[in-house]
Amino acid sequence: MTDDSAALWVNGSVARLQGMPDDERLLDTLRWRLGLKGTKEGCRTGDCGACTVLVDGKSTLSCLTLTREVEGGSVTTIDGASDDPELKRVSAAFTAAEALQCGYCTPGFVVALAGLLKERGRSAPVEELMDGLQGNLCRCTGYAAIARAVALAREDAP
Amino acid sequence: MPPFELVTPATVDEAIASLRAIAGSGPAVIAGGTDLLLDIDDGRTAPGRVVSLRRLPWRTLDWTDGALTVGSTLPLRSLEDDPDLPRRLPGLWQSVHAVGSVALRHRATLGGNLGRAAPASDLIPMLLALDAEVDLVGPDGSRRLSVDAFIRSSRRTTLAPGELIRSVRVPESRPSAFLWQRVRPANDISQIAVAVAFSPTRPGWSIAVGGMPPRPVLLTDVARRLGHGRPSEELLRDACDRASREVGLASDQRASEEYRRRLVGTLLGRAVRAVVASGEVPS
Ligand SMILES: Cc1cc2nc3c(=O)[nH]c(=O)nc-3n(C[C@H](O)[C@H](O)[C@H](O)COP(=O)(O)OP(=O)(O)OC[C@H]3O[C@@H](n4cnc5c(N)ncnc54)[C@H](O)[C@@H]3O)c2cc1C
Ligand code: FES
Ligand code: FES
Repeated sequence: MTDDSAALWVNGSVARLQGMPDDERLLDTLRWRLGLKGTKEGCRTGDCGACTVLVDGKSTLSCLTLTREVEGGSVTTIDGASDDPELKRVSAAFTAAEALQCGYCTPGFVVALAGLLKERGRSAPVEELMDGLQGNLCRCTGYAAIARAVALAREDAP
Repeated sequence: MPPFELVTPATVDEAIASLRAIAGSGPAVIAGGTDLLLDIDDGRTAPGRVVSLRRLPWRTLDWTDGALTVGSTLPLRSLEDDPDLPRRLPGLWQSVHAVGSVALRHRATLGGNLGRAAPASDLIPMLLALDAEVDLVGPDGSRRLSVDAFIRSSRRTTLAPGELIRSVRVPESRPSAFLWQRVRPANDISQIAVAVAFSPTRPGWSIAVGGMPPRPVLLTDVARRLGHGRPSEELLRDACDRASREVGLASDQRASEEYRRRLVGTLLGRAVRAVVASGEVPS
């Protein structure tokens, strides 16, 4: 253990991490230490994208990230959607497109797409956005409704 | 999973010193962690201490006289987003884009990919075809060697205890292409990957193939047969046949040997045609 006072910003509040073991993953910090259960664990091997959060605005697999490695940074999760314009916009698009069934993959998709829109802008080509979501798996929807949500979340959506 | 202590040195000297103190207990450096943490989860390694590179000043990218130098800890996504990369080294852009997913590339690094030396690495074949070099720094100072000499075999490199990859250098811009075959486009391991580049100064072709143990390989002889400019269709077909016959391939859970042989020939033909189509290869 190094610095017990180091803090992390999570959804706009400081999360103090006293006594946290060095090998703790960001996914476990969020779900079990901070009780933010919106972020899901699918595979824990980087394959499914269900655990995606934003770290300093960039989509990140929380299952493959040590919390200590992002200390001092700012983490945004699906639980912070109401305070983040991009997350809010994408959540609304998923609802409008009925782009979920069981919903387990949805937090990961919403955060990943919000991250892409922040990186590439709201008028990024649909193909680029869909390509950027290749790392997210959904076992229910067959992706057609998710593609509709992506189109809706763009700037020039009809 | 046994717990480990994470140390976060602020300088290169401190990093080397903290590595030396635990030399012998396996890989204990973390850059993006996308390989290391899974290796720890799966029990392939159990370091008592992990040395983080995140405070070292190596998240850099520099173009000088057409040569590209990439700091070892620059996230792959930042390399991919360099505005000059798609034009100057299209094959390298394609290979970086092929790694994992966007969220993975926000953390994964070039140094980690080389450090892991996976037989199915997508970056190593392209770096081989571009004659890239690694710049290492360790207790005995710095040294530079070719990626070809750096990679030994599956998960084996020539890194000495306490030594770190500081940067990777690609000596010149080259028309190039990188093609792969996988079951799933993202987050999957290439069954075969083919990297092709044309050096305008030599002039001549380089070909590398990845996806099979023990390591990605350069096909120097096949590349030489393509000549010093645009190959004829006949020459190209002959080179593809040779490549698919001569590469050391085997069957495993991802693909049969027969399928891999066909892939090598097919992808090589497509990659060379793509490089020719750039218009930068003399006739
Ligand atoms: C879901 C998933 C998908 C993937 N897809 C691909 C893919 O498509 N193609 C592909 O090629 N790879 C893929 N990978 C593998 C991995 O993401 C890459 O190899 C990545 O580039 C590793 O970088 P890292 O910074 O995360 O490495 P780390 O895990 O931090 O390090 C890997 C190894 O290198 C050592 N190391 C790291 N940096 C240095 C340094 N500067 N000096 C010396 N040693 C160092 C570490 O000690 C460790 O042994 C995938 C991994 C996952 C989990
Ligand atoms: S739980 Fe992290 S990618 Fe699946
Ligand atoms: S809605 Fe069930 S996994 Fe996507």
